[in-house]
Amino acid sequence: MTVYEADLPGVGKKFEVELDDERRLVIVIHNTGRRELFVRADPDADAEKLFEVSDRLARQVGTILEGAYFQPIRTETIDTVLSDDTLIEWARVQPESSLVGGTLAETRLRQELGVSVIAVQRGEETITNPGPETRIEPDDTLVVLGSQTACRRLDDLAAGGTDDESGA
Amino acid sequence: MAKTLLLELGVMFAAIALGGALARALDQSVIPFYVLAGLAVNPYTLGALGLPSLGDNEVITVAGELGIVFLLFFLGLEFSIDQLLESGDRMVKAGLVDLGINFPIGVGIGLALGWTVLEAVVLGGVVYISSSAVITKSLIDLGWIANAESGPILGTLVFEDLVIAVYLAALAAVLTGGGDLATAATGIAVVAGFLLALVALVAFGEALFEWYLGVRSDEQFVLRTVAVTVLIAGGALAVGASEAVAAFFVGMGFSSTRHVERIEERLIPLRDVFAAVFFFWIGLTTDPRAVVGVVGVLAVAVVLTTPTKFVSGYLGGRLYDLDTRRSVRVGCGLVTRGEFSLIIAALVASQSGSPVLSETIPAFAVGYVLVMSVLGTTLMAAADTVEAGLRTTARTLTGGDRP
Repeated sequence: MTVYEADLPGVGKKFEVELDDERRLVIVIHNTGRRELFVRADPDADAEKLFEVSDRLARQVGTILEGAYFQPIRTETIDTVLSDDTLIEWARVQPESSLVGGTLAETRLRQELGVSVIAVQRGEETITNPGPETRIEPDDTLVVLGSQTACRRLDDLAAGGTDDESGA
Repeated sequence: MAKTLLLELGVMFAAIALGGALARALDQSVIPFYVLAGLAVNPYTLGALGLPSLGDNEVITVAGELGIVFLLFFLGLEFSIDQLLESGDRMVKAGLVDLGINFPIGVGIGLALGWTVLEAVVLGGVVYISSSAVITKSLIDLGWIANAESGPILGTLVFEDLVIAVYLAALAAVLTGGGDLATAATGIAVVAGFLLALVALVAFGEALFEWYLGVRSDEQFVLRTVAVTVLIAGGALAVGASEAVAAFFVGMGFSSTRHVERIEERLIPLRDVFAAVFFFWIGLTTDPRAVVGVVGVLAVAVVLTTPTKFVSGYLGGRLYDLDTRRSVRVGCGLVTRGEFSLIIAALVASQSGSPVLSETIPAFAVGYVLVMSVLGTTLMAAADTVEAGLRTTARTLTGGDRP
């Protein structure tokens, strides 16, 4: 999949996403935050407008598309790529995990694995910006930021496995 | 007194809003309708019918000036030399074709009328510059923004914006140079000094701007931006420099900070309100009879400069490797003239120059913008019909199949 990006001076930015051989999805992001979506049936055709959404709605739709609300296909992880090697990932702490019962400081996740816990989802509640004294409970979902490897290692730990590299 | 002034402002905004509503109903761009609203209620029109009319007063004049200041401030804000360099030579080539064809035709018309070189150069500027505001809006309305033709159209507009910034600065300096030599020299020195200080501030002041705008409260943020912009623009005017050019530099200074998007988000409504007042004020201070008086020049200019813009736009599209159909759209797309033609006219009108500069050109600019904005918008909507028409004509004329 190739995404083409172009500046629209005074308007915003345009992204063209290859859907298949012929069609392209064209997304225009206005400086005002408005998003317009078009589809181009073939390379020579005029782009046909599908719809437009506000900044706020676009973010919501984006999150839904990303699968943060609901995952149709069971994958092991839900993640959001920030750059080539940095992700935000959600990891469910299984009751048998060695992390259960420890505080963020005690589990030394940042020092040992290189992941920062940026939020903890516990039932209906979300603890944003948790401190070192925040204790990890069974069935918590840790929202972490880190490199791909670090996130994968955290995943194993949260699932109840052992971290083979550090032996924690 | 204050009560009636407030009422006058109320009438003004009501007239502007009505003009805007009419523009929407007729599916046209708003700028000519704001001008028409001003024309309609001014003493020469409504007043001539013996009805109460709205005169030019200081508050409206200042609000109109703020319109120029904010228009140019945003031009500076969105202005990027990096973008010009990055987009490679296609944009520069298309821009040069546009400049090389359309500017000389205006100067030529002026000289043919027996005007001075300065007057002819002003006319060149008025007919050269396409309307970024109207064209960009039409691009979005027609959905062309997602097509390949938006590249050369927006590219050419960016190039024109660069040219017009330099042009306005030079023109303002030349116009201030009127009067006797000693006064002129001092005047130019003061203006040059002021602008140099401003350029230095823009070049080295990034950290300062960053700190100045780094405030959490939106209210303080808007106030600070407005304060510095209006203060510097006003200061420029006070020393005899152009407030428009000064505002452009302030915008350019802010364009290198992280706050560009926030400025756009918060200040666009303010710009829109005052820009509308500026267009209204142009109409308000124009005697329709003066426009009728220049109808001959106007007809010549419309007949000559519509095809030249079309041709230069078409060639621009070709330089971007577009096919005939899309290149025709680029040609149609660039015909609209608008805000900058009026700003040039307002600049020369405010200086006590020759009658051509203070009366003929402003009246011409009003008529020209009215015709070209409606014509341009209509051409854009009918671009595919235009192309089909050109094809048929070309086939009949040459027997070939290329327009």
